[in-house]
Amino acid sequence: MNEPIADAALVRWFEEFAEQGIFTTDDRLHVTSWNRWLERHSGRAAADVVGRPLLEVWPDLRDRGLDEHYREALAGHASLISHLLHGHLLPMQTRVGEHLFAKMPQRARITPLSAGDRVVGTVTVIDDVSERVASEHELRKQIEAQQMARNAAEKALRIKDEFLATLSHEIRTPLNAVLGWARILSERERELEPQLLSRAVNSIFRNATVQARMIDDLLDTARIMAGKLRLQMQPVDLLAVTIAAMDVLAPVMDAKRIELKKTLDPRVERVLGDPDRLQQIIWNLLSNAAKFTEPGGTIHVRLDQVHKSARITVADSGKGINPEFLPFIFERFRQADASSSRREGGLGLGLALVRELVELHGGSVRATSDGAGKGSTFVVEFPTVLSPEVRQNHANREGLRGSGVPSIEHVHVLVVEDEEDARDLLIAILAEAGARVTALASCAEALEHVRHAPEADRADVLVSDIGMAREDGYHLIEQLRALPPDHGGAVPAVAVTGYASPEDRSRALAAGYQKHVSKPVDPVALVTAIADAIRRANV
Amino acid sequence: MILTAEQKDALTELINIGFGRAAASLSRLTGHRVQLEVPQVMMCPVGELSDALRPYIDGEIASVHQVFSGPVGGDALLVLDQRSAGILKELLTNEPALPLSIDASGREVIAEVGNILLNACLGMFGNLLKVQVSFAVPHVTVEGLEAVVESVIVEREELRYALVVHAGFRLKNSSVTGYLIIVLSVASVDRLIRAVDMWESGR
Repeated sequence: MNEPIADAALVRWFEEFAEQGIFTTDDRLHVTSWNRWLERHSGRAAADVVGRPLLEVWPDLRDRGLDEHYREALAGHASLISHLLHGHLLPMQTRVGEHLFAKMPQRARITPLSAGDRVVGTVTVIDDVSERVASEHELRKQIEAQQMARNAAEKALRIKDEFLATLSHEIRTPLNAVLGWARILSERERELEPQLLSRAVNSIFRNATVQARMIDDLLDTARIMAGKLRLQMQPVDLLAVTIAAMDVLAPVMDAKRIELKKTLDPRVERVLGDPDRLQQIIWNLLSNAAKFTEPGGTIHVRLDQVHKSARITVADSGKGINPEFLPFIFERFRQADASSSRREGGLGLGLALVRELVELHGGSVRATSDGAGKGSTFVVEFPTVLSPEVRQNHANREGLRGSGVPSIEHVHVLVVEDEEDARDLLIAILAEAGARVTALASCAEALEHVRHAPEADRADVLVSDIGMAREDGYHLIEQLRALPPDHGGAVPAVAVTGYASPEDRSRALAAGYQKHVSKPVDPVALVTAIADAIRRANV
Repeated sequence: MILTAEQKDALTELINIGFGRAAASLSRLTGHRVQLEVPQVMMCPVGELSDALRPYIDGEIASVHQVFSGPVGGDALLVLDQRSAGILKELLTNEPALPLSIDASGREVIAEVGNILLNACLGMFGNLLKVQVSFAVPHVTVEGLEAVVESVIVEREELRYALVVHAGFRLKNSSVTGYLIIVLSVASVDRLIRAVDMWESGR
């Protein structure tokens, strides 16, 4: 075969068919060939380029210091231009699938072109590496996603482990107290002093209640996680719910000498929700605040109408929240201090339940804190939508004297309630229903009133709170029933309580009340109960 | 063939000049200050190369292999253990390292670094010997030490020597260690050492 002909064929092949960019220069770096691939991708025709100085056609090569590689090539040295360190040799566009690379990623090799011992020029070979770059990008993304999924799974596992440890510890603690006292009671049944007996019963009751609360929280969490929590939606008066929740927690606050301030706007519109769950939300926020507030501190509860939302704010002067923990405060099983030596008990479910319940109500909750030691503020908002249904209910509220509700017009009601807001609420409902109201703040005042009021001023019915700070509603009815029937001993009575279990109801009835209404007070239920109690007493 | 203390010092100084040029190129290229520690040099017969390197470098190795030819010819390699290669690539490009076996772009960066370093050193030898040395385009492999050494021994029966240069890269408060291996025939080594002696005495 004639070699020069074969060489020429080979050169033509490179020029026409190579799947790479190939160009050559002479030893003065003037372009001597420019293949089809380069014409296609660079938009510069061979006729434009061949014969001209390379660094004049592509001045950018000099600006980026790449001209040095051409001088090295003329000295016999080959160089590699990597994509990651240079991006590209010559600016060209490319597309891989959906991916448009404004600058085609390239790898280039710049080598001397030698004839015998002499370097007569340079050869540059350019590879388009965009496909490789795209697949490495994809690979890296997948590896990162896997890594993230693995980290998240490991973290979830760790949090569950910690939670299990906390759970066993937290459930054991009250159990120890219950078991301990039960043992003492069974061993010393006979010679037990009344004082010790009452301590034992109180302790068992308190600890069993704590445990029951935890188990309720656990069950609620499980229900929510399984999507099985059902809400009994109805128009709810948040004022009543808030007051009821504060009422329940008042003894805890008293015991810790925490001042409970409140600024409650009675004009807040109703929200659509499950009254028990709404109360649970406020409870949890309050008990969380109480838990982390030192004795002598303050908790401030606000209720406001903000545009079309009802906003409940619980602000405490407690230990505050570390900024690092703040984003995780509503996460299930998370506690700022999960160590076994931590001071505060609890499962770390309360705030997670708050968020989940709030969200099930279409509301939002957020927490803020200026940092450790600077108190925390929790803000919950629920939409107050005046749907036709809600409007109807508003009408009912105004129409407590309307059809379907028994009349208590001109009935004289004696209200006993130590909480000012709860008292005001009862007064407002009863006044709306047309009743005449005498409202007092303690058992002693109530007894005084019953004993000494002139006959015309004697109440027709008693409505009393059960859980009052000093003497409770049980004490009041006991004293009252001890009076002669015509001196108030037979007055019909309605108990209002925040403890709404069936046991509470039967205990109230057994103590001498005719009817029982649970907080948050539903106006229609209260008026109906009062009318019923009066009717029964007159039978 | 044993280098005298003076020859060792002179070689160290010469290679250090090449390293200085390579470091300047790498700094310019990456926009970060890249330094190369003063090299440590030793010479050993190629047959003893595995034993000489094994204490320092182990496991899978990324090696940049570049053949050079001309009046003085041989093989030149930059070898880094895989971890160091990954770190070096990450430091130079700010891209998190993937295992080099699946990271073609990463291997390419290592190849370019090897290219810069080897060109600087070999170019310096060429100047010293006043001969033109030509280098081929570098290629990278990821394999064990034995295979790397095998690749420079194979096909050539003649006794050859390896100049092993410890190369410590320093950048962004980190350091990465690699080795430069330049394999030469006995004749080439003789020529090089004579040139080094002349350079030393001519100063």
